[in-house]
Amino acid sequence: MRKYETFFIVDPDLPDDVTSSVDEKFKSIISSQGGIVLNYAPWGKKKLAYPVKKRSRGLYVLTEYSGGPELVAELERNMRLDERVLKFITVKLEDRFDPEKELPRDSKARPVYDEDDEALVRAAEASDEDEGEDYDEAEYEEQEEE
Amino acid sequence: MAFRRRRRTFHRRKVCRFCVDSELRIDYKDPKTLRYFVTERGKIVPRRISGNCAKHQRELTLAIKRARQVALLPFTTIHTI
Repeated sequence: MRKYETFFIVDPDLPDDVTSSVDEKFKSIISSQGGIVLNYAPWGKKKLAYPVKKRSRGLYVLTEYSGGPELVAELERNMRLDERVLKFITVKLEDRFDPEKELPRDSKARPVYDEDDEALVRAAEASDEDEGEDYDEAEYEEQEEE
Repeated sequence: MAFRRRRRTFHRRKVCRFCVDSELRIDYKDPKTLRYFVTERGKIVPRRISGNCAKHQRELTLAIKRARQVALLPFTTIHTI
Protein backbone atom coordinates (compact mmCIF):
# COMPACT_ATOMS: atom_id res chain seq x y z
CA MET A 1 0.00 0.00 0.00
CA ARG A 2 1.09 3.49 -0.74
CA LYS A 3 -0.19 6.75 0.54
CA TYR A 4 -1.30 9.42 -1.88
CA GLU A 5 -2.99 12.73 -1.80
CA THR A 6 -5.09 14.21 -4.55
CA PHE A 7 -5.81 17.88 -4.64
CA PHE A 8 -8.48 18.83 -7.12
CA ILE A 9 -10.66 21.72 -8.17
CA VAL A 10 -14.39 21.30 -8.60
CA ASP A 11 -16.61 23.67 -10.54
CA PRO A 12 -17.68 26.32 -7.99
CA ASP A 13 -20.96 27.18 -9.69
CA LEU A 14 -22.56 23.84 -8.91
CA PRO A 15 -25.23 23.56 -6.24
CA ASP A 16 -24.27 21.95 -2.94
CA ASP A 17 -26.03 18.64 -3.58
CA VAL A 18 -24.07 18.17 -6.81
CA THR A 19 -20.75 18.85 -5.09
CA SER A 20 -21.62 16.34 -2.40
CA SER A 21 -22.39 13.78 -5.10
CA VAL A 22 -18.93 14.48 -6.54
CA ASP A 23 -17.50 13.78 -3.09
CA GLU A 24 -19.42 10.53 -2.85
CA LYS A 25 -18.37 9.46 -6.31
CA PHE A 26 -14.66 9.78 -5.68
CA LYS A 27 -14.85 8.29 -2.21
CA SER A 28 -16.64 5.26 -3.62
CA ILE A 29 -14.09 4.92 -6.42
CA ILE A 30 -11.29 4.85 -3.86
CA SER A 31 -12.97 2.25 -1.70
CA SER A 32 -14.08 0.12 -4.66
CA GLN A 33 -10.46 -0.14 -5.78
CA GLY A 34 -9.37 -1.37 -2.39
CA GLY A 35 -8.19 1.96 -1.05
CA ILE A 36 -8.86 3.66 2.24
CA VAL A 37 -9.90 7.29 2.44
CA LEU A 38 -7.84 8.81 5.25
CA ASN A 39 -8.90 12.37 4.91
CA TYR A 40 -11.36 14.22 2.75
CA ALA A 41 -11.38 17.96 3.25
CA PRO A 42 -13.06 20.58 1.10
CA TRP A 43 -10.96 23.73 1.27
CA GLY A 44 -13.66 26.08 0.12
CA LYS A 45 -13.94 28.37 -2.85
CA LYS A 46 -10.85 30.25 -3.86
CA LYS A 47 -9.76 32.55 -6.60
CA LEU A 48 -7.65 30.77 -9.19
CA ALA A 49 -4.30 32.21 -10.20
CA TYR A 50 -5.34 31.90 -13.82
CA PRO A 51 -8.65 31.03 -15.46
CA VAL A 52 -9.36 27.32 -15.89
CA LYS A 53 -12.12 26.34 -18.30
CA LYS A 54 -13.21 29.99 -18.31
CA ARG A 55 -13.74 30.04 -14.58
CA SER A 56 -11.87 32.36 -12.28
CA ARG A 57 -12.85 30.66 -9.02
CA GLY A 58 -12.67 27.08 -7.92
CA LEU A 59 -13.73 24.80 -5.12
CA TYR A 60 -10.60 23.11 -3.80
CA VAL A 61 -10.77 19.65 -2.28
CA LEU A 62 -7.93 17.73 -0.68
CA THR A 63 -8.13 14.01 -0.13
CA GLU A 64 -5.61 11.62 1.33
CA TYR A 65 -5.89 7.92 0.78
CA SER A 66 -3.91 4.75 0.65
CA GLY A 67 -3.94 2.25 -2.14
CA GLY A 68 -2.03 0.90 -5.07
CA PRO A 69 -0.96 2.58 -8.27
CA GLU A 70 -3.98 1.13 -10.15
CA LEU A 71 -6.22 3.11 -7.85
CA VAL A 72 -4.54 6.35 -8.82
CA ALA A 73 -4.87 5.51 -12.50
CA GLU A 74 -8.56 4.75 -12.09
CA LEU A 75 -9.24 7.84 -10.01
CA GLU A 76 -7.44 10.12 -12.44
CA ARG A 77 -9.24 8.53 -15.38
CA ASN A 78 -12.55 9.32 -13.74
CA MET A 79 -11.50 12.86 -12.93
CA ARG A 80 -10.51 13.44 -16.51
CA LEU A 81 -13.91 12.26 -17.70
CA ASP A 82 -15.86 14.20 -15.11
CA GLU A 83 -16.78 17.63 -16.40
CA ARG A 84 -17.27 18.95 -12.89
CA VAL A 85 -13.59 18.54 -12.04
CA LEU A 86 -11.53 21.40 -13.44
CA LYS A 87 -8.05 20.28 -12.41
CA PHE A 88 -6.33 17.74 -10.23
CA ILE A 89 -2.91 16.75 -8.99
CA THR A 90 -1.89 13.52 -7.27
CA VAL A 91 1.20 13.35 -5.09
CA LYS A 92 2.67 10.24 -3.52
CA LEU A 93 3.24 10.87 0.17
CA GLU A 94 4.63 7.54 1.29
CA ASP A 95 5.91 4.49 -0.52
CA ARG A 96 5.11 2.06 2.22
CA PHE A 97 2.01 2.63 4.23
CA ASP A 98 0.53 0.45 6.92
CA PRO A 99 -3.16 1.30 7.38
CA GLU A 100 -3.28 -0.23 10.83
CA LYS A 101 -0.63 2.08 12.20
CA GLU A 102 -2.44 5.20 11.25
CA LEU A 103 -6.10 5.83 11.85
CA PRO A 104 -8.10 8.30 9.79
CA ARG A 105 -7.48 11.74 11.16
CA ASP A 106 -9.55 14.84 11.15
CA SER A 107 -8.95 17.30 8.43
CA LYS A 108 -5.56 18.78 9.08
CA ALA A 109 -3.81 21.53 7.19
CA ARG A 110 -6.78 23.77 6.77
CA PRO A 111 -6.33 26.74 4.51
CA VAL A 112 -5.49 29.94 6.28
CA TYR A 113 -5.03 32.32 3.41
CA ASP A 114 -8.44 33.36 2.24
CA GLU A 115 -7.60 37.03 2.29
CA ASP A 116 -4.67 36.15 0.06
CA ASP A 117 -6.98 35.81 -2.91
CA GLU A 118 -7.51 39.49 -3.21
CA ALA A 119 -3.79 40.21 -2.86
CA LEU A 120 -3.14 37.86 -5.73
CA VAL A 121 -5.46 39.72 -8.04
CA ARG A 122 -4.00 43.04 -7.03
CA ALA A 123 -0.47 41.84 -7.66
CA ALA A 124 -1.47 40.56 -11.06
CA GLU A 125 -3.04 43.85 -11.99
CA ALA A 126 -0.07 45.82 -10.79
CA SER A 127 2.43 43.80 -12.75
CA ASP A 128 0.34 44.14 -15.88
CA GLU A 129 1.04 47.82 -15.86
CA ASP A 130 4.79 47.74 -15.57
CA GLU A 131 6.24 47.04 -18.97
CA GLY A 132 9.75 45.98 -19.88
CA GLU A 133 11.77 43.17 -18.40
CA ASP A 134 11.47 42.32 -14.78
CA TYR A 135 12.67 44.73 -12.21
CA ASP A 136 14.41 41.89 -10.46
CA GLU A 137 16.69 41.03 -13.32
CA ALA A 138 17.96 44.56 -13.77
CA GLU A 139 18.42 45.10 -10.11
CA TYR A 140 20.31 41.93 -9.39
CA GLU A 141 22.59 42.02 -12.37
CA GLU A 142 25.35 43.63 -10.40
CA GLN A 143 25.46 40.94 -7.76
CA GLU A 144 25.81 38.35 -10.43
CA GLU A 145 29.41 39.26 -11.18
CA GLU A 146 31.14 37.49 -8.39
CA MET B 1 35.10 48.81 -11.04
CA ALA B 2 35.93 50.49 -7.79
CA PHE B 3 32.30 51.29 -7.32
CA ARG B 4 31.39 47.72 -7.84
CA ARG B 5 33.94 46.47 -5.35
CA ARG B 6 32.61 48.83 -2.73
CA ARG B 7 29.18 47.48 -3.41
CA ARG B 8 30.35 44.03 -2.61
CA THR B 9 31.31 45.00 0.89
CA PHE B 10 27.66 45.66 1.52
CA HIS B 11 27.05 42.04 0.88
CA ARG B 12 24.72 40.68 3.49
CA ARG B 13 25.10 37.08 4.51
CA LYS B 14 21.98 35.35 3.37
CA VAL B 15 20.64 32.38 5.19
CA CYS B 16 18.21 29.75 4.10
CA ARG B 17 14.86 30.53 5.69
CA PHE B 18 13.89 26.90 5.75
CA CYS B 19 17.08 25.86 7.53
CA VAL B 20 16.70 28.56 10.16
CA ASP B 21 13.05 27.90 10.86
CA SER B 22 12.28 24.22 10.93
CA GLU B 23 8.61 25.01 11.49
CA LEU B 24 8.41 26.46 8.02
CA ARG B 25 7.43 23.68 5.65
CA ILE B 26 7.57 23.68 1.90
CA ASP B 27 4.15 22.67 0.68
CA TYR B 28 2.67 23.19 -2.74
CA LYS B 29 -0.74 23.76 -1.15
CA ASP B 30 0.50 26.80 0.73
CA PRO B 31 0.82 29.61 -1.80
CA LYS B 32 1.33 32.21 0.89
CA THR B 33 4.80 30.92 1.73
CA LEU B 34 5.62 30.16 -1.89
CA ARG B 35 4.64 33.63 -3.04
CA TYR B 36 7.66 35.01 -1.21
CA PHE B 37 9.97 33.05 -3.54
CA VAL B 38 8.30 34.11 -6.74
CA THR B 39 8.66 37.45 -8.52
CA GLU B 40 5.69 39.64 -9.32
CA ARG B 41 5.62 38.11 -12.75
CA GLY B 42 5.53 34.63 -11.32
CA LYS B 43 9.12 33.60 -11.95
CA ILE B 44 10.98 31.56 -9.37
CA VAL B 45 13.51 33.71 -7.50
CA PRO B 46 17.02 32.32 -7.97
CA ARG B 47 18.96 30.93 -5.09
CA ARG B 48 21.63 33.62 -5.23
CA ILE B 49 18.97 36.17 -4.40
CA SER B 50 16.70 34.32 -2.02
CA GLY B 51 19.66 32.78 -0.16
CA ASN B 52 18.14 29.34 0.07
CA CYS B 53 20.33 26.29 0.39
CA ALA B 54 20.46 23.91 -2.54
CA LYS B 55 18.34 21.26 -0.89
CA HIS B 56 15.53 23.58 0.00
CA GLN B 57 15.67 25.38 -3.31
CA ARG B 58 15.10 22.07 -5.07
CA GLU B 59 12.10 21.30 -2.89
CA LEU B 60 10.80 24.80 -3.34
CA THR B 61 11.07 24.65 -7.13
CA LEU B 62 9.06 21.45 -7.17
CA ALA B 63 6.46 22.93 -4.84
CA ILE B 64 6.09 26.09 -6.94
CA LYS B 65 5.68 24.05 -10.09
CA ARG B 66 3.02 21.91 -8.46
CA ALA B 67 1.23 24.97 -7.13
CA ARG B 68 1.14 26.34 -10.67
CA GLN B 69 -0.48 23.15 -11.89
CA VAL B 70 -3.39 23.55 -9.52
CA ALA B 71 -3.78 27.27 -10.19
CA LEU B 72 -2.58 28.38 -6.78
CA LEU B 73 0.29 30.30 -8.34
CA PRO B 74 0.37 31.90 -11.77
CA PHE B 75 2.57 30.68 -14.59
CA THR B 76 2.60 34.23 -15.86
CA THR B 77 0.56 37.36 -15.37
CA ILE B 78 -0.50 38.08 -18.93
CA HIS B 79 -3.29 35.51 -18.97
CA THR B 80 -4.94 36.88 -15.89
CA ILE B 81 -8.25 38.51 -16.69
